[in-house]
Amino acid sequence: MFRNLSLAWRMALLLLLGGGCILGAVVGFSYVSSRNLLERELADEARETAQAIACQVESVAKALEQTAKGAAYAIRRFAPGTEGIFGLLEESLINNPEVFGMAVALEHPSWYGVQGVPYVQRQEEEVLFKDLARDGESFRIADWYSLPKFARRSLWTDPYFDDLGGQALMTTYSVPLFSGEGENKIFEGVATADMSLEWFSRILEDLSLDEGGFAFILARNGRFISYPEDAWILRETIFSIAEEYGHPELRELGRRMIAGETGFVFLKDSVMGSEGWVAYVSIPSVEWSLGVFFPREVLVAKIAALTRYQGFLGMLGFAFLLGLILLVTRSITRPLVQLEYATRKLAEGELETSLPHILGEDEVARLAQSFEVMRQQLLVQIDILCATTAAKERIESELHIAQSIQMSLIPKTFPPFPEHEEFDLYALLEPAREVGGDFYDFFMADEQHICLLVGDVSGKGVPAALFMAVTRTFAKILTKNSLDPGEILFKLNNELAQDNESCMFVTIFCAIVHLPSGECRYASGGHNPPFYLPAQGVVTMLPQVKGPLAGALENMVFEEGTFTFSPGDTLFMYTDGVTEAMNNHEELFGEERTALAINKLRGKTPVELIRELRKVLGDFAEGAEQSDDITMMAFTYGVDRKE
Amino acid sequence: MISGKGAKTGRSLPGRAPVFLLLILLLFPGEGGAFSFTQIFVLPQWSPQSQFAGIYVAYEKGIYLRHMLDVTILQGGADADPWEYLRKEEADVVTQFLSSGLEARDKGLPVVLLGQMMQKSSLLLVGRKDRGILTLRDLSGRGVSLWDSSFRLGFDLLFEKEELVPRIYPQYYSVNLFLRGVVDACAAMYYNEYHMLYQAGFDFEELSEFFLEDYGLGFPEDGIYTSESFYRENPEACRAFVEATLEGWQYAREHPEEALDVVMQYVGRAHVPTNRGHMRWMLEAILPCIFPDSGDVWEPGVLSREDYRRTAEALLQGKLLGSFPPYEEFVVPREVPHVP
Repeated sequence: MFRNLSLAWRMALLLLLGGGCILGAVVGFSYVSSRNLLERELADEARETAQAIACQVESVAKALEQTAKGAAYAIRRFAPGTEGIFGLLEESLINNPEVFGMAVALEHPSWYGVQGVPYVQRQEEEVLFKDLARDGESFRIADWYSLPKFARRSLWTDPYFDDLGGQALMTTYSVPLFSGEGENKIFEGVATADMSLEWFSRILEDLSLDEGGFAFILARNGRFISYPEDAWILRETIFSIAEEYGHPELRELGRRMIAGETGFVFLKDSVMGSEGWVAYVSIPSVEWSLGVFFPREVLVAKIAALTRYQGFLGMLGFAFLLGLILLVTRSITRPLVQLEYATRKLAEGELETSLPHILGEDEVARLAQSFEVMRQQLLVQIDILCATTAAKERIESELHIAQSIQMSLIPKTFPPFPEHEEFDLYALLEPAREVGGDFYDFFMADEQHICLLVGDVSGKGVPAALFMAVTRTFAKILTKNSLDPGEILFKLNNELAQDNESCMFVTIFCAIVHLPSGECRYASGGHNPPFYLPAQGVVTMLPQVKGPLAGALENMVFEEGTFTFSPGDTLFMYTDGVTEAMNNHEELFGEERTALAINKLRGKTPVELIRELRKVLGDFAEGAEQSDDITMMAFTYGVDRKE
Repeated sequence: MISGKGAKTGRSLPGRAPVFLLLILLLFPGEGGAFSFTQIFVLPQWSPQSQFAGIYVAYEKGIYLRHMLDVTILQGGADADPWEYLRKEEADVVTQFLSSGLEARDKGLPVVLLGQMMQKSSLLLVGRKDRGILTLRDLSGRGVSLWDSSFRLGFDLLFEKEELVPRIYPQYYSVNLFLRGVVDACAAMYYNEYHMLYQAGFDFEELSEFFLEDYGLGFPEDGIYTSESFYRENPEACRAFVEATLEGWQYAREHPEEALDVVMQYVGRAHVPTNRGHMRWMLEAILPCIFPDSGDVWEPGVLSREDYRRTAEALLQGKLLGSFPPYEEFVVPREVPHVP
């Protein structure tokens, strides 16, 4: 199919294919590199976002730590008593908007003159006062009390729902109070400051992340402090999710996060809603980890948009390129097309069609020049051919005339002598080529004698015809002076042999019949002996009489034979065109077949005999081309045609 | 449905009960008196989790009703001491460890064991390999957090037996001291804290486990208790309660995900900060302690005399008990003797 396309299209398509491969490679490369670039950008963005939130949380946490530490210092330094502590805590709460609640809990209630566990809590614009020991000592097993006690250091608790004081989701910074120094210092109690976790939700909700992106915070034990899915908060840990979803990568991420590492990973699974990247940073003071999740779709969508744009540009470029290539290839192939048109006309014979004039020296121009030369040559050749053909035609027409003349030379009127009813005669000459060398003739030598002649000149064509004409003319003249066939042939031979530079010769049979008696004298110059068809009896060949080919050598002797016709007897004379007629199997008709055929035709009139024999010959030849002139002449004696 | 006993008045039957009652009344008209429901208030010893899945499932699937029990499940937790509830008659039936039951009896609370649910001990010590706790001996001189009272007994006996002197820290509701690295080992229940450590990011390979059972100190745990008086008044109902609860467990065993759905409902209502993955682990870990496999010899729900004696003697040795009653006094017979 490709081969059926025009050169311009083929070239355009091939170039486009090549160009397409290159463009594909370029787009592919650009896709990969832009994806990497976007991925890096996304990672940076995620890290920056994470870092920014972490810093925000960190700064609040630090402020909170300072508040708690300040309170602890003030209690130890000033021992302000219950009222004083409430005042101190209230003041701290008012001055530090990050703080949600504060408490002071002591190992022994009476220390520092404090009763119960003073607790202040922010509620909208007001400050609530509570005693956490009001319902018993259960605060002592709370993390914010027991952990610093046993860890003997300040710390942040894990996030918890405080049903003791705050009735809120919070985390607490707890500063232990000690008396004494070093290993033996005695735990006296704690001063705490609470951070409400609702605050995070607000910060994280305010984040303007790409669609599907979100931030989440893990506590130090991997528990979700903040996550878009409320059901996960404080209930699930990153590890429980990893376990539930069978997601070891997520567990690995969780371990890195709670170990305080900073990083960027790709999560293949849709555990966070879809697959995507997580950038994570630690929030050191609270020992939390913050993750920012970016779904892959965001990046994919960006890349898809970019690729679509590139693809569109590519297609546009291709269309333009296609046009350009077609334009260029057309300009190259246009002369070719013209040339093709012109040469087709030439091929159809319109040699006068002028070839397009192509400028330049390129292949096409040279091809056009070659065609022009060829055209000129063809014109010359055709002129020559025309001349030759004309000459040939002239010769042929001349030959045709020659044949007409030749055929006009031999008698063709049958019956030839209507006044002589004592015999019947019929003859046929079919030249193999237009002008042949066979001939026959018959004429009344005098009132009582008829002369019968059959001859075959060697060769064919005009020379043979001319030689035959000469032979016939001589024979006719010589018969005027003699009724002796031997003598006639002797003289004829001498006439022909004289100055016979063309070395032509002729076989000739000559018979002179004395009509009243039926006596027939004959002589033969190398000619096939005729058949004798008696009215009663079998066909025989006339006895051979000696006689050479006429025209070869002078003064040759020709013997004479004699026989007498009975009424109804027929003499059948012929040339070798009959016996040597050939079929497609290269078999000769032969004398035997001739004799048999004639035998079957006994009793027929000469016309019937010759016509039917001709038909037999035709059947034998089976359409094979006639190689020699066929001449036949039959003479029947003593039949009254009128009867 | 989950309420204090103070809210007894105005309390309605659980969702399915009216329909069920109606059905029974329709089926047995005129015999109504013989089909009266026994009211039972039950207090599990801790806040909702898979540890009590059998009770929740028996309730939700109407098994208690089928046993003619009108059960109300009270919400357990740190501030709800089962023995206090029994003493004050705020609960009729509670669950507790066997050791705790023996202690309560020894302290004069006339409690009886209706059925032993968990036949095996799930207590273990978990150590941090990265802190060098690879064998039990490594605990000597190191910080170990333990629960208080009867929970601690097995561990104390272990230290005594192995002649170890670790520094003991109190362990309350969390293993935060362990997670914060204040202690190098902590007490844990295999079905609970051990898996919580995994859910807090510890890989199992990073932990050393020392099961009390492996040191001959594993004692049966959760059992169903009531007061002698309640049992005297309602022996049939008490027996039915154990049967129904075991049926509940059996159902949970056969339909674990459905049981988890139920557990998660209770967890959700009580705002317990846990997750389904942990509850699944717990259920899977507890079921083999209730139902024997091919190697176990116990009958579900029945405390063996040997386990009773072993536990009581250990408590006696640990001076947690002054004395202990004979098996027959402490454990009610599975089949109530028929009184003509």
